Formats: sequence, C-alpha cells, structure tokens
Amino acid sequence: MRAYELNLEGKLVRVFAEKRKGLLWFHYQGQTFAVDLKPKSTKQKTGASGGNVILAPMPGKILKVNVKAGDAVKAKQTLVVMEAMKMEYALTAPSDGKVDTVKCQVGDQVSLGAVMVELALVTKESGEKKA
Amino acid sequence: MARKIEKLAVANRGEVAVRIIRAAQELGIETVLLHSEADVASLAYRLADECVLIGPGPAGESYLNIERNIDAAIGAGADAVHPGFGFLSENADFAEAVEKARMIFVGPSPESIRLFGDKISAKNLVKKAGGPVIPGYEGDDQSDATLLIEAKRIGYPVMVKAAGGGGGRGLRVMYSENDALAAIDSARREAMNAFKSEKVFLEKYLDHAKHIEFQIFVDSSGKAFHLFERECSVQRRHQKVIEEALAAKLDPHVRNKMAKVAIEIAETARYKGAGTVEFLYQDGDFYFMEMNTRLQVEHPVTELVLGVDLVKAQILTAMEMPVLWEQHDLVPRGHAIECRINAEDPYQGGLPSIGELGGCYWPAGPGRRFEVGFEEGDEITSHYDSMIAKIVVWDESRYRALQKMKRTLKETVIFGLKTNIPYLLAILSHPEFVEGTMTTQFIEKHFSKPLASPEIGENETAIIEQLKHNISEGASFGARGAGEAPSPWKALK
Repeated sequence: MRAYELNLEGKLVRVFAEKRKGLLWFHYQGQTFAVDLKPKSTKQKTGASGGNVILAPMPGKILKVNVKAGDAVKAKQTLVVMEAMKMEYALTAPSDGKVDTVKCQVGDQVSLGAVMVELALVTKESGEKKA
Repeated sequence: MARKIEKLAVANRGEVAVRIIRAAQELGIETVLLHSEADVASLAYRLADECVLIGPGPAGESYLNIERNIDAAIGAGADAVHPGFGFLSENADFAEAVEKARMIFVGPSPESIRLFGDKISAKNLVKKAGGPVIPGYEGDDQSDATLLIEAKRIGYPVMVKAAGGGGGRGLRVMYSENDALAAIDSARREAMNAFKSEKVFLEKYLDHAKHIEFQIFVDSSGKAFHLFERECSVQRRHQKVIEEALAAKLDPHVRNKMAKVAIEIAETARYKGAGTVEFLYQDGDFYFMEMNTRLQVEHPVTELVLGVDLVKAQILTAMEMPVLWEQHDLVPRGHAIECRINAEDPYQGGLPSIGELGGCYWPAGPGRRFEVGFEEGDEITSHYDSMIAKIVVWDESRYRALQKMKRTLKETVIFGLKTNIPYLLAILSHPEFVEGTMTTQFIEKHFSKPLASPEIGENETAIIEQLKHNISEGASFGARGAGEAPSPWKALK
C-alpha cells in the first residue's frame, strides 16, 4: 500500500491504493473500494441443464443438505447449511426451480467456489432456454 | 507468599495473544506462544519470546486440545498459562490439568469455572446469592415433548441455549411452536460441535432488553472489586459487535443495585481474578444471564474509563501479589467505545472474507487504541472466527467518543479483505444508537439486510482511471510502499 496524489478536476487528493491479486484497492473519503481490473464476463454461471449453480461462497463444512435431485424448490428456500468461522450459513435457491444434481454431502469440507447444487430453471411457455 | 512467574505460556491466538504477550513482557516475564500451523503468519508469533507448535489449523487438534497445550507448555519450561478468551479459557479440565502439571493457571479455580460453566448451576448460585434470574426451564428431561411443553408454559418468544455454552454459540430464539423444533435441533447441533454436550435449557426471551455486564475482580487476598459496567447491546446473532463503557443510559440507582449483586455473586462463589457478570435490563428490571470466568473481548473499554490494566492485574493476582488499586480509585472518567473489526463482506450479509491480508493503516491519535493480531501478508483462514482487530476510543463524553470512533474508522485502511467497517459506521450513525436507547434487538430491527454496495461515482471513476494510468507507466504498485517492504520481524525470525 502507498499513498498516491491524484488530480481530481484541479484538486489534489491523497488516495491510499494497492493492487493485489487482480483487484485494485483504494481508500477515498472514508470508504474502501475493490475494483476488478480484468474485463468482466457478464455471463451468468449456468449449469449443464441451463439452470443456476449454487456455489460455496466460502470454504467450510457442510452441516445439512435439505434437498435431493428432482425436488421442486421455491425461491429463498434453504438448500444447504454450511459452517465457517464458527457460524452457520444457509445457501438458498435464487428462484423457483427444480434440483438437478446435489454435489455435496453432510460432513464434506468444501473449498471456495465448489459446486454445491445445480438447479434447473422452471421453463415457462414463452421462456427461452439459455444455450 | 508470592509465587514467581518467569515464563508465561499463552494458549491463544490473534489480538488477545498479542495483548497478553505485551502485558507479560512489560512485567519482565518471558512469553511462549502455543500456536497452530495456521498462525505462524501472525503478529503474536513475531512478538513472543518463544513459539511452540501444538498442531494443525483446526482448533480441535490445536487450541482446543488440552494435552497438546499442556505438553507444549511443560516442554517450554513455562511456569504459568494464560488462556485468553474463547478456546480453553472456560474449560475447567484444562485449568485442572495446568495445576496438576504444577503450573499456574491465570484465571479462577477449576471449581469456579465448572460452577459458572454449567449455566444451570450458575443460575442456582445466583438465586442463592439473592440475584434475579430469568424465568425458564433447566430440567434434566431433554425430550422434544418436554421442551415444547415448557416453552409453551414460559410463553413465546423463548430462547434455547446450550447448557455448556457461551459466546453466542448453541443459542436460538423460538418465536412460536412452529419453529421450535427446528431451533432446538439447531441449538443442539451447535452445542454438540462446540461444547461436546447436547444439553440445552430454555429461557424467556426478553425482546427489548439491554445487555449490561459488570466487570468484577477479586484479588489474591480475596477482596472483591467492581469495575463498573459495559453495555454490549449491539449484537448480531448473539455476537457482540460494538461495546461501550459505561452503559449509554443507566439510572445510577440501578447501577448500584447491579454492582451489589455482581459483588455478591463473586463472593458467594469465592471467585478469584477477573470475571464478568452479564445481565439483561428491561423496563427497569435486571436479570442475571451468565458469568464469564475469564477476560472479555471488550475489556479495553473498562480499562480506558478506569485507567487500569486488567491483564497485568490478572498476572499479578496469579502471582499472589496485590493489584495497584483500591475500590475508591476506581472512578470512571469519560466514555470508551470498542468496535470489533471482522473480515467479512458487509455488502453480502457478513459473508466471511478469507485470504491474505493486504496493506493496513491504523491511524494513531490521542484516545485511539488499536488491538491488532495480524499484519500485511498474514493469512486469515476459515478455521477461526473472523475478528482480526479491535478499535477502541476514549473521549470526555459519549458524544465525543462516538465522533472519534467514526473519524478513526473512516481513516482506517484495510486492503486485501472485506471488513465490516462500513457496517459499523452505519450503526454508529443510527439515531437509536446515538440516542443510546438501543436494545439487543437493534441489529435485527434496523440492519437485517446487507448494506448497499457503495456507488462508484465520477470521482471514483477518475481515481480508478488515474491509478490504472500509474500502473501502465510502470510505477509498480507498492514497490515503494512501506507496507510492502519485508517486515523486520519476518527478517529476524
């Protein structure tokens, strides 16, 4: 980290900044920002079935798996409960759908970004499937 | 009849290990840190006179393993052990094992720990000492059916708590019969994980109470002191977030009554050393919640308003030496606030932020105290809780302390990991907190949703553009930054 003197419309401002693992971190007016400098891919993560993929948001241990393949789920329904840093976290369904595959089981130690559950979206008549 | 401590083993990690190491070193006592593989990259490891590895990252195989801690302490030739808070600090078997190995346990006797560690026997003792307790069920019949009947009798909302619990773990609120079984199930599971016992008890849930706790201290001659109160009403999932001393709003009359009960409890139990009696305060009445038989995370706010050093007092008491104050010296002055700095993403509901800590800037100044456990390049892992530091401020009034805390948080820079600083700032600006009328429901009521991500406005966009420009011109980031230079500590070890 170091302090940079930058020019904002003629005014000199001092900003702490640092680049770390592809992210640009800077602190300006009491707030810290982390900006991804790589061009972002805007594509949503999709599973083989074209539905949503529920990923582990952190490394941790699986405490509970509430669903199995074929289950219909409602938006915000708890699919998996995991534990990290001594706290429990519930992974929920982002929208109504059907469970395609469950890729974790109770007791698993999972890493950040591991696929936990794949959901197939409920296709509406007019809805088009994403490739 | 003083006992000598020449080498103190620290059975803990993070910022509290640093706190203990420094206190001991200032008293001329050597320190040995008992640490896990995961904590080689930490400030305590760099500061301790000696370090002994006790096991891998998972706490069960290191910080919670009695045998490994004892063996390591004996091996290093330590004559005393300080357990800090969390981990084995309230484990009577550990205190016993320390004494059996002819070392001094810096804390109360194993009997005291056992008595207050079982929340049910603690409640019974308080009843004996004439203290008020919360209505509840503490029976041995732990069947679902009995718990449901008792919950109904007490009247919802009802709290289900691990009998061997503390620190907010194994604790759930049941709002109605519908969610009761799920809550009991979850509390049992967490209790089993954390305390190896499924036993739970029920308590009436006070839904607009303040958390007020009294610091007590009993010196080696048996003299009991009260060091006034702290308020810790700002809690998330029963984990304290912001603490202050004294309480934001407390009738002096009630304060005196609470202090008397706290002292009475300590004396009835023949307690020794530092302890905290936790109360809930609602509508003019207060109830005993639990007694913590250890140093508290939030002990610095008490230290700042009273001008004492609780860790040194603990060590002196363990050496059977007198502390440096009398009750009449303990006159609170001004106001102190503590914020716990957690590695978590405030824009994603407090999701843990794990990884390597980047550059940090702790803006020192009058009345600002930083309790830091980690430095740039250290790895924050998922093995332990997410607290990486504490920021504590003191000023002449609550309002001024509040303003100082806000300034300090805004000037604090932590890169590499997301932290809860924006969340803390939002809380400190909330009218209910400013007013001092917050209850333990405060966060649930006002901050249940994740904060909105900060807008990247015109200025921020311009900053990003210019910083990017700096890189392309070859001004390599951090190359000249003080934080990037290898720490002299790292070079020395």
